[in-house]
Formats: sequence, structure tokens, C-alpha cells
Amino acid sequence: MAFAIEFFLRRISQGVVIVILVAFVIFTLLRIVPGDPIRIILGPMASAAALEEKATELGLRDPIYVQFGRFMGQVTTGDFGRSFIRGAQGGSAGGSQDAAGYNPESRASVSGLIANALPYSLQLAALGIAFAFLVAIPIGLGAGLRAGKWPDRLGLYVSSLFVSLPNIWVGVVLIFLLSAKTGWLPAIGYQGFAYTIIPAMVLAIELSPVMIRAISVSVAANLGEVYFDVGLVRGLSRRTMVAKHVLRNAAVPLLNLFGAQMIGMLLGGLFVVEYIFSYPGIGMLTINAVFQRDFPIIQAVAILASAALVAINMLVDFASTTIDRRLKF
Amino acid sequence: MNTTRRTFLAGASAFGAGSLLVGAGTGPFGAAFAQESKPLVFAAAGTVTSSWDPTSHTIAPQITAEMLVFSRLTKCLMTAENPGEILPDLATEWKLIDKYTLEYKLRPGVKFHDGKEFKAEDVKATYEYGCQPSRPASAWYPGQVEVEIVDDYTVRLKTEKFGYPALNFWYVAAFLPVLSAKDVADPSQLKQRPNGTGPFRYQETKGDQIVFKANEAYYDGKPHIDTLLWNYVPDANTRVLGLLNGQYHLTERLEPEQYESLKADANIVTNRGLSSENKYLHFRCNKPPFDDVRVRMAAVHAIDRDQILELMGDAAEASNCHISPVKFGFTDVPNYPKYDPELSQKLLAEAGFPNGQGLPELEYITSVGFYPKTREYGELVTAMLQEQGFPVKLTTLEPAAWEEQIYRRADGQGPGHIIDVGWITGSPEPDLVLRPNYYSKFALINGVNDPEIDASLDKERGAETAEERKKILQEETLPLLAAKVPSLSLFSAVSLRAMSKNLEGAYFYPNGPIDLSKAKLF
Repeated sequence: MAFAIEFFLRRISQGVVIVILVAFVIFTLLRIVPGDPIRIILGPMASAAALEEKATELGLRDPIYVQFGRFMGQVTTGDFGRSFIRGAQGGSAGGSQDAAGYNPESRASVSGLIANALPYSLQLAALGIAFAFLVAIPIGLGAGLRAGKWPDRLGLYVSSLFVSLPNIWVGVVLIFLLSAKTGWLPAIGYQGFAYTIIPAMVLAIELSPVMIRAISVSVAANLGEVYFDVGLVRGLSRRTMVAKHVLRNAAVPLLNLFGAQMIGMLLGGLFVVEYIFSYPGIGMLTINAVFQRDFPIIQAVAILASAALVAINMLVDFASTTIDRRLKF
Repeated sequence: MNTTRRTFLAGASAFGAGSLLVGAGTGPFGAAFAQESKPLVFAAAGTVTSSWDPTSHTIAPQITAEMLVFSRLTKCLMTAENPGEILPDLATEWKLIDKYTLEYKLRPGVKFHDGKEFKAEDVKATYEYGCQPSRPASAWYPGQVEVEIVDDYTVRLKTEKFGYPALNFWYVAAFLPVLSAKDVADPSQLKQRPNGTGPFRYQETKGDQIVFKANEAYYDGKPHIDTLLWNYVPDANTRVLGLLNGQYHLTERLEPEQYESLKADANIVTNRGLSSENKYLHFRCNKPPFDDVRVRMAAVHAIDRDQILELMGDAAEASNCHISPVKFGFTDVPNYPKYDPELSQKLLAEAGFPNGQGLPELEYITSVGFYPKTREYGELVTAMLQEQGFPVKLTTLEPAAWEEQIYRRADGQGPGHIIDVGWITGSPEPDLVLRPNYYSKFALINGVNDPEIDASLDKERGAETAEERKKILQEETLPLLAAKVPSLSLFSAVSLRAMSKNLEGAYFYPNGPIDLSKAKLF
């Protein structure tokens, strides 16, 4: 128990520092790249005086550290601010050019936009991971248990094929084949669960190569360990050794992989996949926000993504220590 | 491996779960998918702003949305064969009373979507509000205007007080949405929802989707399409794939390659129409070296527009004029600059830059992902200019960053030296292009300040008859612009669209809007 408390206190404090650093980097980068958001908010034909007046009023002309301090103050109260661009109904839009009539309160709250989009992304991510497991576990286990034989080669070929397919291309091809040509599944937007299936397949194709290789390598390594042979000598069946000992021991590197790589890949994949499929999740929200220079949304998503990564890594490390007590993080 | 009862059951369960997932498309989920063909789904490349007040913006996608909801006094179909044709809309007759007075007889029995009856007071409220210089869309108005109510169904636009002829509203009236006087009196209401007299009424916005319903009381008959869903889909490939799988019925802004491949699909009908937009290279005329007309002329003589047209394929048409062929006054300008490398060298030498020596590095700013092939022809133009000795550096920006670089700043200067941009407006009125771009008081992008151009623009605006104005435009103003080249019009843009073969009767305006009032979806 004491270990758990010490572990979480230490890791949460480290995590907070990481999230603040990520937030600061994103915040600064957004403000030094070309593209002044006030021109997006008020439109290209607003007068220079109106642009400057509104930018000053919104605090966009303050030094970056002042803006960042103000922003973090808001975040600590759970307020991620309001979108520069999107209306209260959440519609994606260019800003109004009506400088005099611009009212930040008429814009959608970032927390609300994220809360609306998040369930869609979670559903897509969960189904993508489930599909990836469906593919990767049998192939990876087969490859690990039959190292050097055809299942191993199958694992290598499948993962090599999947890893070399760009997800944009896979998305377009699957929409074309499974939706446009055959009409089996809907593909664009979201009006029901079926709209999640093709995007989830694309995510699964992106995630499964790493999983296949990790499972096969980890299982094969455990089969070569002394404890495996000792177990067989002591009369345990190969199936019992694999099911009760090899899989458990192989799970530790897999969990680490899940925390360190898979979540990062999943987040990156979601952005691309949601954009291709016009799927109304966090990825689509963020890509549109980047195109529209909608800083509050980009910042909030960056903070939440880094917080999620930190939290998942923390939980994975904790789970690893409970599986293998010798590990310390 | 022996099969036990337990392993058999485990395998059977896994198979069952897998079958459920595979069958999802043809089961209840598939049924939901199949039912969605009723409303017309438009995959739009752009979307609206956060204000529904038409005077609050000059954004093309929102103008397209407003076309569904609002009516105008007149209609201009803007065909290349007859660009000056005017048809009735809310006005049934119109005539010039004198130089400063234009009279419109209004259609009786028309109602706004909120039930208010349309009368002369609505025209007065709309025009006198929209022309205020503080309104962002006042750029569409030739100037301020007073509206006299003769009776409930007769109005007179009066311009004498503001010093320009009323004839300037002749074509602009076909572009200005008519609002309800009640809404104009309550700007917060005006911003929240559009309330017009057009064929479709606004229902709601759901995320990136806007829902429009047929206006049962539309004066020209209730549209056949009951529900119109406006889906904002930023990615061009997604729009095309959605059209191919039947989720969308209509889409716009196709790339030439997409247009070409869709032409071969039996379930799709393609539409190619000359737009009211020309694509320009604007020179920053208020800073060296393009403050010297000889350097500008040297640059335009270095550009072979035929090569650009070849590269653009279906997405462009040749035009030798600073306005599109669907604009009033268009002509093939005889002195429009042609590709002439020798003349380019001669002019450079005269300007003191033989073979381009001594010229500063010139930045050419263009966009990617907004118009078709801007990066590709940008590289071509850069190479052509470099060949004549212009030290040009091409900067390609994504739309938000590019938009920030286009216009001149508070100090009058803008970034870079050459800017690639188009200019699209929904009326045959040429001044909607010419005054914002070439009149020294505005010259929003190039900053040209030339008294001769100003005088010529004032002269054509002051003409008392359409014929006189056309003559001045064709024989003086447009040739003068070709001789001074504050910008070079590269070509006239072509709009490429595609729709389901089940959609019939849609009319596409050259500036983007689509008239679906008579369209049918089978």
C-alpha cells in the first residue's frame, strides 16, 4: 500500500511537470508560426484598427508568458476557454468579419466541444484496439510458439505488409471497396455504430504490426527461458506452461509497449483517420482547429492528450509491478 | 490437438462474436444506412461564420448558404452568352427614373419564413442597413443609399446625396439578400438565425451539419426536396468518396483529376461551369521594385499563360481581361500582355535591372489546398520569372496562414512582392472586382495608387446608361489596367462539381451558390 501511494505521488508530480512543459511548448509554437488568429476570427476585410483593437481585447497581443500564465490559471479551474471560431451550436465555421458585433460568449466552450467529440473517439479507439487484438493475438502467438516455422513467417509477412501501408491510403481504399463499390458498410460521418467499423479497421491495420511483432518476440523469448524447460521436466504440459506462465511473463513487455507506443500511435492514427472519414471525434475537431488557427481547442487537446499519455504510462507501469514484483519504476 | 467440449464452446463463442461484427453492415446498422437517401445531402467544401447576418461577412460558402434562404430583388444567371441578363425575383419590374433614382415594383403576397409579410419597408431596412460603411459586407454596395417607400410594393433607391448614379445598383441588386425589417431592428436576432423569403428555411445546426427545410410558402412553389442537409466536409477526397458510396448527393470544388475520373462513373453526373472568379498575381505596387510599371510589365511578359492553362486542365479557361467573362463589360482586351521574353529583357534593362541584376529577392506567396494546383503553377511561374533573371522565391502556405498574408496592413504595406489570389463575387457588376482591387482608396492587395486608373474607374461608375458604361469599361478602363498591370489575371476559374444521377434540376451560379428550388431527388 505504501509503495502504491509513494508510486502515484511521485509519478503524478512528474506527470504534472511534463503536461505543463507540453502545454507551454504548444502554446508558444502556436503563437510564433505564421497565421494571426485575429484575421481568422474577424475575416480578411476587417479594418486594421478593428483587428488590433479586438486582438488586444482578447489578450492576443500580450507577451506569450503573460498569455500562458492566464491560460494555465483558467485551466486549473477546469476552464479551457471558448473557441475562437465555432459558434455556440458547435458548428465549424470561419469567424465572423463583424468586428463590432463579435462576442466571445457566443462561441462554443472548448470543454463542451471536447465532451461532445470524446465519446466518438473513444468508441473508435476501442473498436480499433479490439480489431487489432483480433488480428494480432492469434498471429503473434502462433509466430511466437512456432518460431522459425510457417506461423512465424506469416507473422513477419503480415506485419511487414501492414506496417508499409499508409493509413490515408488504406482508408481511401477501404471506403472505396467496402462502401462505394459494394455498399456493405457506411463510411463517412457518423449516424450509428456501423460508421465506426471501417475507420476502426484502418486503425487496427496501423496498430497490429507492432503488436504482432511484440507478442511473437516476447512469447518466443519466454519459451527459450530455463523456467519453461524446468516446468516441462516437472511434468506440466506445454499448454499449461504457455497458458499459465509464458503468457503472464510475456504480458509485461506488451503492457509497456501498450503504454509507450500504442497510445501515441492510436492518438496520431485517430487524427488522420477521423479526418479522412469526416468522423466527428477529437481528431476531426483538432485538425479543423489547426486549419482555422483555433488556438483554445488545439491547446486543450494537447494538454488532454499529454495528460492521457502520462496517466496511461503510469497505470501501465503500476500494472507491470503488480505482475512482476521485481520491477521498480 | 484434442478438441474438448470447453475448447469447442470457446471457439464457437468467438466465431459467433466475429460473425456479429462482420454482419453489422447488413443487420440493423445497415438498415439505418439504407434509409438515409431521402434528404438531399450536400457535401460542402466550406461552411458558414458564427453570425447569420448577411451584412456581417464576405465569405463565399455562407453566400452559398444564404442563396437557399434569402431572395433578392432580381436574379442574374450570369451566363457567358448573356452576362447582363436580369430576371425578376422579389421585384417584378424595375426602371431608371433619373440618373440618381432606380425604382422597383415588388412582388405582393410573399412571406418571410417567420410569417411576416414582405413589403417595401423590408427593402428600405435592408439596403439602408447593409450600405453602412461599418458593415463588413458594405464592400458589395457601390456606396450609401437612401430608399424611398412609394407604397407597400414600390421602392426607389436614391443615390444623389452620395454622388454616384443609381445605375450602379442595376446588377448589385441581384446579389444583396433582402432581410426582414423586424430582424434589422433586432441585430441579435439577425445574427442567430437566417430569416428570408427563399425556397428553404433554416432549421438547425448540428455540429458540422446545417439542416434546411423546404419553404412551403415559397412564392414560386414549394421545393420538391423536403430536407437539405449541408455537411461541411473539408477533405476533397472524402467528399468524392461520400458521393461514390451514395452518402452525399452533391459536392463541389473538385480537383481536375477527380472531375475526370467521376466523368466515367455511370451513377454520377458532373458539372463544369465558368465561374465569376479570375485568378490573379497581384504585385505589391507600393514598394520597390514593383512600384515601377516597367518592372511589372517585364514580369508579366516573362509568364507564358498557355503553359499554366495546360497544367490547369479542366479547372481553368483562357481570358485576356481583369474580369471574368460572366461579368458585365468583359472583353478580350487587345493590349493584354502576352508572353514575350525579349520585351521582358528590354523593359528590365530600361528599369535599370539588365538581366534582372540588382533586383532584390522577390517573395511570391501562394496557397496550397484552397484552389486547385496553385503550388504546381506557382512553381512554373517562379521558374519562368527566374529564367528572365527575377530572383523569385516561392512561399507556399496553407490557407489560414496564406489568408493572413494577402491583404495590406495598417501601414499600407503587405508581406512579400507577388500574391496569388482569386476574387469571386455573385453579380455581373464589374466594380465588385475593380474598385476593391484597383481604386487607390482601397487597392486591398496590390496597393496601386494611380490617378489615371482612379479617374477611369470614376468615369465608368459615373456613366448614365449601361451602354455608355460598357463602352468606357471595354475601351478605356480594362485596356488601362492591362497597360499598368497592378496585377495579372492569369485565367478565369472553372467550377467543377459532381452529383448523383438521381438529382435533377439544380442550377449552379458562377460564384458558387446552387439554386435547388426546382431540383428533384429520385
